[in-house]
Amino acid sequence: MAKIKKVDMEQLLNCALCPNLCRCDCPVLQVTGREAVAPAGKARQAALVQESYLSWNKELLEAVSNCLGCRNCTLLCPFPDLNLCDELLHARIGEKKADINLPEWEPYLNNLKKYSSPYGRKESGMAEVNGDKVDIVYFAGCTSLANNVNSVEMAKKLLQKADVGYAMIEEDCCGYPAETWGDMDLVSRLAEENCRKIKDSGAKKLVTSCPECWQTFNERYPAWGYELEVEVVDGPSYFLGLVREGRLNPHSLDFGKISYHDPCIWARTANMVDEPRELLGSIPGLEVIEPYASGKETHCCGGGRMFQLSFPETAAAVAARRLNDFNENALIATACPFCREALQGEKGQVFELIELLAKACLDR
Amino acid sequence: MGNHIKTEIQEKQVAQKVIDQYAHLAADLIGEDRVSANEADLLSNCRDFWPVSNIWMLEGYVPALPQLVVWPKNKEEVSQLLKLANELMVPVVPFGEGSGTLGGVVPVNGGVVIDLKKMNRIISIDDESLMVTVESGMNGALYEEQLNRAGYTGGHFPQSLRCSTVGGWLACRAAGQFSTRYGKIEDITVSLEAVLPDGTIFSGRSVPRTATGPRLDHLFLGSEGILGVITAATLRIWPLPEKRLMDTFTFAELEEGLEAIRLIMRSGARPAVVRLYDAQETGHHFPELGDKRCGLILLIEGNEKIITAEREVIKEIVSRYGSVDEGEEHVRHWLENRFNVSVASKLFQKGAVLDTIEVSTNWHNAFSTYKVMQNALMSLEGTMLASGHYSHVYPDGAALYLTTVGFPGEDKVGYYKRIWQAAMESCLAENASISHHHGIGLHRGQWMREEHGAGLDLLMRVKQSMDRNEIMNPGKLGIAEVSKWPK
Repeated sequence: MAKIKKVDMEQLLNCALCPNLCRCDCPVLQVTGREAVAPAGKARQAALVQESYLSWNKELLEAVSNCLGCRNCTLLCPFPDLNLCDELLHARIGEKKADINLPEWEPYLNNLKKYSSPYGRKESGMAEVNGDKVDIVYFAGCTSLANNVNSVEMAKKLLQKADVGYAMIEEDCCGYPAETWGDMDLVSRLAEENCRKIKDSGAKKLVTSCPECWQTFNERYPAWGYELEVEVVDGPSYFLGLVREGRLNPHSLDFGKISYHDPCIWARTANMVDEPRELLGSIPGLEVIEPYASGKETHCCGGGRMFQLSFPETAAAVAARRLNDFNENALIATACPFCREALQGEKGQVFELIELLAKACLDR
Repeated sequence: MGNHIKTEIQEKQVAQKVIDQYAHLAADLIGEDRVSANEADLLSNCRDFWPVSNIWMLEGYVPALPQLVVWPKNKEEVSQLLKLANELMVPVVPFGEGSGTLGGVVPVNGGVVIDLKKMNRIISIDDESLMVTVESGMNGALYEEQLNRAGYTGGHFPQSLRCSTVGGWLACRAAGQFSTRYGKIEDITVSLEAVLPDGTIFSGRSVPRTATGPRLDHLFLGSEGILGVITAATLRIWPLPEKRLMDTFTFAELEEGLEAIRLIMRSGARPAVVRLYDAQETGHHFPELGDKRCGLILLIEGNEKIITAEREVIKEIVSRYGSVDEGEEHVRHWLENRFNVSVASKLFQKGAVLDTIEVSTNWHNAFSTYKVMQNALMSLEGTMLASGHYSHVYPDGAALYLTTVGFPGEDKVGYYKRIWQAAMESCLAENASISHHHGIGLHRGQWMREEHGAGLDLLMRVKQSMDRNEIMNPGKLGIAEVSKWPK
């Protein structure tokens, strides 16, 4: 059974007793205007439940769940060891968990139970092996498979072009949505399946294009008590390595101005802000300009913690707010299927880095 | 509410059928998605950063609960919501971001909280006259950020910048850390727009000065929600400063530093930041300076030629008082850490009672008020620390800011009351004013009679004429006693 970390009450109370210098940086608060979803608002409710002064109900659970997990609040937080997103999560799924679900989660949780993807039925037969020796497992992730299968195809072609021996497995969801929605039995099932399939592949590395999958395999699996026995590598760094080694050689793209949107996890958790820019810079012909908030100070797209599915209005409002940070004449590139999906809109097409790299390396 | 959390100072509540009626009609006016009786919303809009709320939170209480929260999007909706509240005689508490420190938003009589955070836009910027018109629910840091992106500064940097709204600043007559150059919020304000309890929307003229009778819109500065709801303001702005100069000096005695800054103000020099710390706070904030001398940090900004001349004048003045020039690094350190209030969270968890008390003095009693208040606080059993600094200075005086920490044991609320009693009585005995910029809220209302004398009666008459049904923010500004919160 997947383990859950205990709530660190001292840290939760640090937030609950603070006037919240981070309020200006909480996208959920800023778009909803609700005190109940302010960082300290959520921390207070969670703390009162943990101390048994309150009991979970749908209203409290909905408010405390209104966290994108973007960690933007950490930028100004005076408590260096406080990770409020995780404390709130552990408060509602841990020892004093909520024994109820939000109706907003139910259809996706049911999909996850039935199809191992929150988006519903997946095409079967995705398992394949390229090359005589399997160097990596390329883990596409449910969101790319559901919303942008082209990026998966492009990744495979790039790997083939670079002569990488890779395996694709019959993927189960990495498990993080199940944790978000509080079903730890399901987390265990998904994690066990993925561990087995990855181990069976014989690969030494696991490459993920999705930052949520990366964080799950890299941080959550060990915390849940599952050992993958492979090195977990982020997609942008891996493909940058292939470019640096000369195994991929991008040609010029006549796309004009383009801005890179830093996904929160890559920038603030993985501390990866230079690699995507170097990858973008390796493609001749692009004029890369920074958006207003970039690097570790990036603003969330609204796609974290499955918000696009469970709280779509809030997610859309956060995305609209983020789009204001971009030059309207610039295309947007990113390295996350959630961000791509969130920022797609009236302002034009949003590319994943892998798609741009594929256009630069394959389309001629 | 599904849960039954205990309230400590709930005086009364509105009959549920009236609240239901209000909720139904409000939903018709602004949409049901912006009207909430949700438990999470009621719990979260019931308090501010009043230390007593934190003490109670750790014991599982809240001060009092509202019965409904509404989020208007514009002044017309505020007008409709207030008119409805006035007709049904439902108490109303305006709410920004809850950074107040005196319980100013505690809904002692229940009723409706009007949360203004959906009114969060800059409406226009007038470059020629250097003014911005902004909605009152805008977060302070986002306001300054948007101005910076357009090439301006709002010149207002309270320690709560990141957790307060423009409307909150106006409602409590806030002061920013750069106030010596840019002024307090009342100096920065050109005009205000507000809605009266009967729904009337009115605004002042956005011109620099008038001689057309009293500026009635300015009546709302410091009104703390008892007269109506501030919905927007036109504020002064400045082009981003060309250059900054920073200096730190130390003095052997606090009085020497005080005399130096008095003469700086008398000379006409206007540094943006002037902060003079007693030796205890100097040691706490700037450990490398030690705790034997009193530190003064200065930040001057603006046109390079002007500020270079100001710096010369300042250096000449401070040199007369045996000051030691400690360089600019300490100011940089302060700039980086000036919003950090993390110590409060930690101390509350350790059983401490911590608060800050700011008062307004003239020069003749600036030092004596510090001494008398510090002695009064230190004489209380349980007090571990009572230190001070001066952080907003004027030609006619300065703001004195005391920080006190005590470990009183079980009776934390009783101790909290005793420190305020001691501080306010000693402040009044020195003829200083009981607040410089935190405002009155719920708790400090108890000394409004001593502060204003007959002036409080005038304020009550103004309140009665504007708010006949007494719906606006009951129990605040010393207008009415709160029986469950006696002195």
